[in-house]
Amino acid sequence: MTGSLLLQSLVLGILLGGLYALLAAGLTLYFGVMRVVMIAHAAFLVLAAYLAWDVNTRFGIDPLLSLVVTVPLFFGVGVALQRLLISRLRPASLTMMSVLLTFAIALAIEGTLGFFYTGVQRRIQLGYSGASFEVFGARIAVVKLIAFGLAAVALLALWLVLTRTRFGTALRATIQHPEAARLVGVDTDRTAAYGFGLGLATAAVGGTALSLDATIYPSLHWHWIGPLMAIIVVGGLGSIPGAAIAAMVLGIGQGLLQLPMGTTWAQTVFYIALFATLMLRPQGFFGGRLAQRF
Amino acid sequence: MRNVSRTLALAVGTIAVLVVPFVAPNAYILSAAVVVLSYAVLATSWNVMGGLTGYISLGHAAWFGLGAYGTALLVTRAGMPSFLALALAGVIVAAIALPIGIAALRVRGASFVIVSIALVLVLLLVFQSWGEFTGGSNGLVVPRPFPDLLRPEHHLVFYYLFAALLAVVLVVWWAFDRSRFGLALKAVREDEDKAQSLGVPTFAYKLVAYTVSAMFTGLGGGLYGLWFGDLDPIFQFSILVGSYMVLMALLGGVRHLFGPLLGAVVVGVAIEYFKMEFGDTQFHLIATGLLLGVVVLFMPDGVIPAVSGLVDRFRPQRSSIREVTADEVLDRDRVPETPEPTEARR
Repeated sequence: MTGSLLLQSLVLGILLGGLYALLAAGLTLYFGVMRVVMIAHAAFLVLAAYLAWDVNTRFGIDPLLSLVVTVPLFFGVGVALQRLLISRLRPASLTMMSVLLTFAIALAIEGTLGFFYTGVQRRIQLGYSGASFEVFGARIAVVKLIAFGLAAVALLALWLVLTRTRFGTALRATIQHPEAARLVGVDTDRTAAYGFGLGLATAAVGGTALSLDATIYPSLHWHWIGPLMAIIVVGGLGSIPGAAIAAMVLGIGQGLLQLPMGTTWAQTVFYIALFATLMLRPQGFFGGRLAQRF
Repeated sequence: MRNVSRTLALAVGTIAVLVVPFVAPNAYILSAAVVVLSYAVLATSWNVMGGLTGYISLGHAAWFGLGAYGTALLVTRAGMPSFLALALAGVIVAAIALPIGIAALRVRGASFVIVSIALVLVLLLVFQSWGEFTGGSNGLVVPRPFPDLLRPEHHLVFYYLFAALLAVVLVVWWAFDRSRFGLALKAVREDEDKAQSLGVPTFAYKLVAYTVSAMFTGLGGGLYGLWFGDLDPIFQFSILVGSYMVLMALLGGVRHLFGPLLGAVVVGVAIEYFKMEFGDTQFHLIATGLLLGVVVLFMPDGVIPAVSGLVDRFRPQRSSIREVTADEVLDRDRVPETPEPTEARR
């Protein structure tokens, strides 16, 4: 194994890990504000990718521009989903039933995508699709770098919103202690709805980033949901730093294992990590004791 | 009185199941009936775990697929007789479910669901990639156990085999439901922490329920493999099959012996119909999604309680003077299903 090949897969792993981190952060956000495990996150990811593809093929404009529409759209859909569906579930069985409800949403989205776009595999052709440059012998595709940059910018924006705005403070208060947050005057219902919207907005960014470089088809979301779910369990349900670190570590692990094992078998690293985590530390590496109970 | 009507209903139901093949107009309807019965076996097996303990596994398709592939591989690679292979596959599935259960049952609720989904996805990955052993995406042909039977007769034999397996699973669920063991499992469903503090060995009991549930799902899968004769990882390890089991059990009612069976008849017939009418579109996915959403939102306890509640309205009330009895008030104010620990309440 040559050094440059190793560097190459390391770089690919980091680029992939960034995208995983963005999407896992969204999943963690839902769990934090609502105790909801959002199975449909990956389906919305694929939906955003399809919208980006559509914008590109129909109007011939850059898929990145579709973000102007999809981010606010997904935010609104997220708020509506939380307000109209998820908040209707009984509090006692919320966690369990939310899994089934979002699973149902995922199926409906996959079916709708199949209905409108058929099962044909799609790929965006861009002027810079084939472009790449070399760093110390490692070849990096421009589209992968753009996707990573998009993920990094979105994560940074998410972090700034969470730590620098009044809404972010209210959201973090709602996550930490909803009763206390209500006592000091936070409208936790509205905050939870906006938090849900924020999480779904990350799916819009992630989906657009994905569309630059991947072949998309309606059932693609099953391919993503496993690794993403594994990441949030390994990181500890509800912990955003935990999700980000687990995403990076597992993304790099996948990248490195692709050399000796091939792309398909490298996927198993997520599941091995998941089952190992359960045996060693069921609450995940950054989750509190609470994480084990959900 | 109640007992008599119950026995009568059971007898009528049994006879109805037994005569279906004789009123089925053609082989296609008969094969659809076999599919519905196999769904009933799966949903009832799922309910051994899901209904009694409240642990919702979206990944029981893993056991379905392992049972099917286990049986098929034992027949094709080891040259075993079909039904010996089926029994052995059931044992193997139980042996695999035990360590997986030890890992998966260390977490509750949503984490458990995530693990169950991950199980199906990783098995799909393994069975697709490990082509030289499992046949990979090319599929695996299972030799038919009765090679000289014609197609309709083949369906007929398997219809009764599935009916027999269903009867066994129903008896197992019923026996669990009435036993101390089942009581302990239901205590886990209502309040796991309290059950644990009262000295119920919750982990061991959950593990037993999980393993039994997995084994019967595996047997259902193995029988399906012998009947259908052609396996493909995409269909055997499908999240969709796992979600059908949950949907059927929830729709009928997880707290009732015949709930999953009822759900399997309703959903199974719907699935077969949708596949026949809209087979080439993705419409069945939308329909399944919508149905699951409606069940979760509007009748999480299932059809049986919803309907019996409706029937009770028109019955003469048992309470005479008071509008509601003290028991009913208690029942009404009770928090339904498992109360979460206090820190979880929003």
